Amino acid sequence: MDTRKAVKTYHRNLAIVLAVIVAIFAAIPLVVDKPYIINIFVLTFYMSTLSMAWNILGGITGQNSLGLAAYMGLGAYVCCLVVTKTGMNPWVAAVLDMLVVGVVAGVIFFPSLILRGPYFTLVSIAFAESIRQFIINSEFFGRASGVGLPFGKDSFAQFRFTSKVPYYYIGFIMMVGVYLIMKKIGRSKLGFALRTIREDEDAAAAIGINPTKYKVIAVVISAIIAGLVGFFYVSYIRYIDPDVMIQSKSTEIVLPAVVGGAAYIEGPLIGGLIMIPLSELLRANFAAVLPGINMLMYAVVLIVVIRFRPSGILGWYMNSKFKAFIDEKILKKPSLDVLEEYELMADKGGK
Amino acid sequence: MAEKPIIEVQGLTKRFKGLTAVHDVSFSVEKGSITGMIGPNGAGKSTTFNMICGYYPPTEGKIFYNGEDITNKKAYEYTNMKIARTFQIMKPLKNLSVLDNVTAAAYFGHAGAKSEKEAKERAMEVLHFTGLYEKRHVISKDMGTPDQKRLEMARALATKPEVLFLDENMAGLNPAETEEAIQLIRKINESGVTILLIEHIMKAVVSLCEKVIVLHHGEKIAEGTPEQVMNDPYVMEVYLGTKKEGASA
Repeated sequence: MDTRKAVKTYHRNLAIVLAVIVAIFAAIPLVVDKPYIINIFVLTFYMSTLSMAWNILGGITGQNSLGLAAYMGLGAYVCCLVVTKTGMNPWVAAVLDMLVVGVVAGVIFFPSLILRGPYFTLVSIAFAESIRQFIINSEFFGRASGVGLPFGKDSFAQFRFTSKVPYYYIGFIMMVGVYLIMKKIGRSKLGFALRTIREDEDAAAAIGINPTKYKVIAVVISAIIAGLVGFFYVSYIRYIDPDVMIQSKSTEIVLPAVVGGAAYIEGPLIGGLIMIPLSELLRANFAAVLPGINMLMYAVVLIVVIRFRPSGILGWYMNSKFKAFIDEKILKKPSLDVLEEYELMADKGGK
Repeated sequence: MAEKPIIEVQGLTKRFKGLTAVHDVSFSVEKGSITGMIGPNGAGKSTTFNMICGYYPPTEGKIFYNGEDITNKKAYEYTNMKIARTFQIMKPLKNLSVLDNVTAAAYFGHAGAKSEKEAKERAMEVLHFTGLYEKRHVISKDMGTPDQKRLEMARALATKPEVLFLDENMAGLNPAETEEAIQLIRKINESGVTILLIEHIMKAVVSLCEKVIVLHHGEKIAEGTPEQVMNDPYVMEVYLGTKKEGASA
């Protein structure tokens, strides 16, 4: 009974802390009325979501791809074109766009998944660039000038708002939703398969994991989420051009995950919440003083993190006294043994 | 021994470009037995092993499991056929805990766990069995060789195999640890698992195996009980090197 009680207390404390965090995010637009600040948050939300999409393939499965921006861009294009050409509802178009991007990514990556390490990364860059070049040279996709969504009255059905606040909330829900899905995957059979492949492909095969099959699954999930973000992006900016898909954008997607801790499900989330606002603040405050200084400072922060905390912020936190303090004093987390006992209890119900 | 062999290897040959690593090796493994494979370094033991486990396609020859031809099966299909293996150079999932290492294995193979709970329970059972239970929260790269070797076995056992291939599971262990490993292997065998092992430590081979296969320069030079094999003049020559031997034998 003690076990049950201790674990219940811990779960309750955890729920309270999470509820407070969510409440703070929910309250921000009520307090802050500068669209600029809200914009930074929206940017943070969708970039963190993209980083999570990268993380399932790059961080969890260990296949470093560097071309995710192309799939996000492709998703945005598909959504935009379907809405403008057929008048389809954007939410329905979003589903279609995720399917298209997932299938495209699955088909083009399938033959290259036998490649390991840097070779896979190079191929992912090449494919991303091919998609961008194809779009630049295609009349249908509006060539280099891109395509736009129609403007009009505010409408939830059309996912169209003048204010940035609705995008803030929808972006936040998207980020949290994707996080919860990732969390679920991380604990599932799929999550174990992906992590085993990251650690050792031969060992994975020895226990009965078909590495190619699971890598394709990771690629497709990653692309589908990128497609979702593409839908959000184009609905927010209301315009898409091939510049969104350039290589440096793909790299930007990777940074939050690496800084936050790519081995962890939460890594891109933590990294994104820190790095994206930081990059924006540096740009806002220093770019006018000395052009380029913001990039330099950003680079310094990055180098410092990678030099001193190679496993990312979470990698440091997981072994820190700070975590021990929080677990013990605030969350009252029971020991691993107690948690385990609870998990294996036959009947978790109990009053 | 009247029963049909569980594993039967016929005329197995592997050529890497010009080099013939394994030449025309045939043997069989009886159900429920422990069979050993010995030979000097470079004799082709691991190559033979990797062929039987689906890691290298054999150049020639066939492998039968319960009478079924499994020569062209992929490595990841083996646990579905109730065959598991360990690696000579340990391949722990370095950044995962011991428990997670074994839980991952419990999800796959012919008896793949359907739920998180089932996988965890199976993992716990195997950890108790292999004596790693107390260390289940340790990150596997932080463990020493003996425990990593144990982990290799635990991971293989979590797939509920009928046949277990052990590749030099005792190399690098001290005598006390070797003794523990022998006990564990015997315990696994007694639970009904057929074992084929590669080993350098003669003491382990002699005390465990009912049948020993000796490889030298990629060819099978002897087969029989440990006593028969140890008294075979050619085997003695290969191991002790009393006479000058032909390099191209």
